[in-house]
Amino acid sequence: MSEDPLFLEVDYAQKCKKGNIVAGDVFLSTRTGDDSVVTVLADGLGSGIKANVLAMLTAKMASGFVLNDMDIKRSAEIIINTLPICSERKIGYSTFSVVRIERGKHVKVIEYDNPSFILLRDGNIVPVTPEKIAFTGISNRENIVQYYSFNLEYGDRMIFFSDGVTQSGMGSVNTPLGWGLENVGLYIRDIVRSDPGISARNLSRMIVSRANAFDGYAPHDDITCEAVFCRRPRKLLVATGPSLLPERDGEMARIISEFGGSKAICGGTTTKIVSRELDIPVNVDITNITGNLPPESKMQGIDLVTEGILTLCRTSELLDRETYSGEMPPNPASRLADMMLNNDIIHFLVGTKINEAHQDPSMPQEIEIRRSIVKKIMRTLEEKHFKKTSLHFI
Amino acid sequence: MAKRKITVCAGTACYVLGGANLLMLAENLPKEIKNDVEITGSPCLGLCQNNSKNKPPFVMIDDLAISEASIEKILHELTKE
Repeated sequence: MSEDPLFLEVDYAQKCKKGNIVAGDVFLSTRTGDDSVVTVLADGLGSGIKANVLAMLTAKMASGFVLNDMDIKRSAEIIINTLPICSERKIGYSTFSVVRIERGKHVKVIEYDNPSFILLRDGNIVPVTPEKIAFTGISNRENIVQYYSFNLEYGDRMIFFSDGVTQSGMGSVNTPLGWGLENVGLYIRDIVRSDPGISARNLSRMIVSRANAFDGYAPHDDITCEAVFCRRPRKLLVATGPSLLPERDGEMARIISEFGGSKAICGGTTTKIVSRELDIPVNVDITNITGNLPPESKMQGIDLVTEGILTLCRTSELLDRETYSGEMPPNPASRLADMMLNNDIIHFLVGTKINEAHQDPSMPQEIEIRRSIVKKIMRTLEEKHFKKTSLHFI
Repeated sequence: MAKRKITVCAGTACYVLGGANLLMLAENLPKEIKNDVEITGSPCLGLCQNNSKNKPPFVMIDDLAISEASIEKILHELTKE
């Protein structure tokens, strides 16, 4: 399995304006066949369903043009000419920030009426000078878009947000003019300095959470934040099931011990084999049984040791949820799901020895055979969570 | 007197077929017995494989395997001598 030279983690977090069930901010992210990433963050005028429709229209157009290799500047021009202007407020019906990151780390960004994005490199905010391009829209109003073009380096982060973030807390005693772009930047910089490995997922959540707090937990506007993190991929190995031939037990254990990344073992028999081959003791923790699942075990050098099929089924269920953001209290399945979501490439090592106990008719029918559930999890990780996965049978 | 070792299998079949309750064994033992035993869990003991005669959940008391284990059966075994 060859390593990806560059890995882009893209994630976002959002809170709706208080009282609305739908946000007027829309975030779209697509990975193309050649490993480019296109993202759009659009903020529709107003809030609620109407704003959502405007923002969605804008985001889909932008994303569609850029994905089809239309020049990003030309895309911006067409969108601005298509978007109506509010006759009263004299502003466009939606803002947008479109980003295209190509495999060779080259980035192009177009911003229209959104707060400027923040680029963080080596723990510092890097100012990037845009090219300002003016388009005359259909109402003869002059529209200015900011166009950026630069190269990303390992460890770089880009953070985009709607004005729900920069204007949070407006009118309050502490922040009468709102949180403000500069302070948002400093907050992000300080978080990343204190936790340099923080995932894009967690960073975007923290920013939205903070803005929500500034608004007194009753957002005045939709709060949306997108974070991009360019780094070397984080790898996870999930080993489940004993090998078909006992002669290959040693090989399986060797693959696990030599793997350069996080490791999880799902299955009691698998655990015992690895323990025996690598001479590492296993301790089942029966004092801490959560989530109606069999208990975890502790093994030196393995980050997570759980039971097999029941845990994998529950993990699949959690990953399949519309929005999953951990469980309290954590249980073996949620820990496994979290591990999968915090890594970029998940390798599955699946032993193909048939477990006769799974064939027993007195077992509950929801228990799926190991291979099927692993394939299901892989599909969910790839399609819903944009992870890369691989499968190796042994 | 050496403590008797009770090993509760935490494998899938055992857990589903009653093992979940057995793992809480410690809380259900009478005081007199609690101090004489050491309770641990184990990954799948493998007793469910190729075994149509003896059914899960399995518990080991020292070297003796108990099939279709229950708290009553365990207490019976412990108080037998």
